[in-house]
Amino acid sequence: MISVTGLKKRFGDLEVLKGIDLSVRNGEVLCIIGPSGSGKSTLLRCLNGLEDINDGHILIEGKDITNQKLDINKIRENIGMVFQSFNLFPHMNVKSNITLAPVELGLLSKADADKRAIELLKKVGLSDKADTMPSKLSGGQQQRVAIARALAMNPNIMLFDEPTSALDPEMVGEVLQVMKELAKEGMTMVVVTHEMGFAKEVSDRVIFMDDGYIVEENIPLELFSNPKEKRTKDFLNKVLI
Amino acid sequence: MTFIEILTNSFPVLMQGLRMTLIISISSILFAMVIGLVVSLMRLSGVKVLDLISKTYVDIIRGTPLIIQAFFLYFGVPDLLNIRIDNLTAGIIIMSLNAGAYMSEVFRGGILSVPYGQTEAARSLGLSNAKTMRKVIIPQAVKNMVPAFVNQMIISLKDTSLLSVIGLGELTQRGQIVVAATYNSFEIYFIIGVMYFILIKFISLLGDYVERKLKI
Repeated sequence: MISVTGLKKRFGDLEVLKGIDLSVRNGEVLCIIGPSGSGKSTLLRCLNGLEDINDGHILIEGKDITNQKLDINKIRENIGMVFQSFNLFPHMNVKSNITLAPVELGLLSKADADKRAIELLKKVGLSDKADTMPSKLSGGQQQRVAIARALAMNPNIMLFDEPTSALDPEMVGEVLQVMKELAKEGMTMVVVTHEMGFAKEVSDRVIFMDDGYIVEENIPLELFSNPKEKRTKDFLNKVLI
Repeated sequence: MTFIEILTNSFPVLMQGLRMTLIISISSILFAMVIGLVVSLMRLSGVKVLDLISKTYVDIIRGTPLIIQAFFLYFGVPDLLNIRIDNLTAGIIIMSLNAGAYMSEVFRGGILSVPYGQTEAARSLGLSNAKTMRKVIIPQAVKNMVPAFVNQMIISLKDTSLLSVIGLGELTQRGQIVVAATYNSFEIYFIIGVMYFILIKFISLLGDYVERKLKI
């Protein structure tokens, strides 16, 4: 359960989040859409403390992560994040990428982590790549490893920051497929995306952001076929051909 | 005297000098690595005081000639404090402090060359700042900084020749003594040059080897 109230974030003089209120239920799949610069990625990055915020509160399962006394690392163990540019560790093979955090943080023994890595690689369809270096993988494969790496921590929440934006078109499908399966298993997911098809098909709720505000939120069917706000209509007209 | 005679006569003394050059170079490069790593991490820590201290240190070392630093530490400081410091200790301290400042910039450059996304990925998995540095950033940084690191090793090795001004019996100083006694300046300085060259060529080759090894 994520609960955001009155969230404001500035970069210098530029206010990118101008007062965001948002809550995400357990097991919910929430997609955030909107034009570039609308603040959607920044909002996502605030949710696991990658950005310091200027005002407001963010509660993750009841704990206020803006509280300085709280150990943010503990909170992050419970929140997986997948980045646009994958960010795999290039000096480690696929298996080590996946096992690094759970072993270093003492969650799993090396042997158990290895076993878990193999399971996760099977889940993302890359069982044969355990010993491969990331540079030898395609973008789609790298992103699937990145998802497996995040899942290795057994998080309750997964954040996706435009996970398919850096991919060649023919590789988008394989990544979305893995995300769909995760959603089906009941993972709580917040997905910043330009994939309107995915948002429509998989999400429980869609948020449209523009200029630092949440302009409109609704179930996907309503938001896509019957947008209320002019800005939402304009945006959807541009992206949906 | 033929060249061969000059070579055989001066060789034992020059080898003594070479030994001293190696002792100073190796020990000060090792110290400099530790200093450099600590100072670069201080600069990247985001803590203002630590940043200021390390910046000042690097500025002072970079802003003054090595030979002045040597005079200052070997003559100036002992005069002021009324102590004696032997020239080998002084030499190693100077070279370590000097190379340490440059090394810190090599390390800092190496660390900054690793994309910020790597830090974000590691931190978002719940790894602490220290673990992120140790497991993710520094291993990648090392690879990127090998060329600059080797460069600094070579510069430091050559700079030890300046320590002859505090009477340290390294290769250059030994050579000067032999020249003073024999007047064979052409031959002796030629031999010394070749000895430095071979040593440095060896370091370059070692650097190439390490670079190849670290390539994925």
